[in-house]
Amino acid sequence: MVADEEAVDQKKYLEESCKPKCVKPLLEYQACVKRIQDDDSGHKHCTGQYFDYWHCVDKCVGPKLFAKLK
Amino acid sequence: MVGGGVIQQILRRKLHSQSVVTPVRSWLSSKKAHEEAGSSGVRALALLGAGVTGLLSFSTVASADEAEHGLECPDYPWPHEGILSSYDHASIRRGHQVYQQVCASCHSMSLISYRDLVGVAYTEEEAKAMAAEIEVVDGPNDEGEMFTRPGKLSDRLPQPYANESAARFANGGAYPPDLSLITKARHNGQNYVFALLTGYRDPPAGISIREGLHYNPYFPGGAIAMPKMLNDEAVEYEDGVPATEAQMGKDVVSFLSWAAEPEMEERKLMGFKWIFLLSLALLQAAYYRRLRWSVLKSRKLVLDVVN
Repeated sequence: MVADEEAVDQKKYLEESCKPKCVKPLLEYQACVKRIQDDDSGHKHCTGQYFDYWHCVDKCVGPKLFAKLK
Repeated sequence: MVGGGVIQQILRRKLHSQSVVTPVRSWLSSKKAHEEAGSSGVRALALLGAGVTGLLSFSTVASADEAEHGLECPDYPWPHEGILSSYDHASIRRGHQVYQQVCASCHSMSLISYRDLVGVAYTEEEAKAMAAEIEVVDGPNDEGEMFTRPGKLSDRLPQPYANESAARFANGGAYPPDLSLITKARHNGQNYVFALLTGYRDPPAGISIREGLHYNPYFPGGAIAMPKMLNDEAVEYEDGVPATEAQMGKDVVSFLSWAAEPEMEERKLMGFKWIFLLSLALLQAAYYRRLRWSVLKSRKLVLDVVN
């Protein structure tokens, strides 16, 4: 019997599939990354845009995840 | 952060409808107010303007605290959430296995005894066997000495460290909290713990975490001492369920929820029963009250004016 060893993590899979829904905050984040690339002061960061993106992904993944788990 | 934005929107709409506020304020500063009937209205507008400025600046300051509060965790549809829903006991059993193999090396659960697991996640024999695997200090014996013996059902779950100082010393100054009540001890505990355990990600651009800490957006401040502990296949479940990170997270949080609220099922049953019975009693009491008061409420008062 060949057991299925490659159980894909359901949360990662859903986060990937929710990316298209959250393109706008993702682009905002990438724009921020580009903006602060040349900054050397160490004070600039993209936490806001990062949070907005992951909040969007979380809201998408949340209702769906447990249906995929035992 | 969201509340600040809402307040800003409401105030902006208010400002648009009173579009004279800003010019009025500057007019006020450049001219003295009249002493006529219109001055109180103007002063009220000035006060409103000051209040608006204060509120606006407050809301922008508050939104800079995002990382400090941690990313808001989503709401997951826990199977034991509903008004008459019980725990998923298979999940509790798996969750205990995850705790034992992954978490117990650093986190104590000193309020749970082996006997608490009987009938919830394990049979009595299984729990006895599990307890017997640990060594417990007991005593003093007849000779006045402390001795060690194998564990019994009545013993608490073993503690990884002798005391908090030892725990901090072994973990770079950070204390791995006791998990017996953790889902009640954190705001939105169940969702928070699940989001935290499965939410280890690369930090955003511009954020660097010092050596020894790890980035987790859900942790207030973003820098947590605990590394990512749930990795796929870290545990092999007895019942053959694939142990992905999300599965282990769900199971361990089910176990922790049970540990913090073992009375939940009985509480829900009792609540449902008594709310139902008390509603009936309310109807009965209302009827009886109206019945007894009907005598007075159906009185007729006749005003007989003789003049």
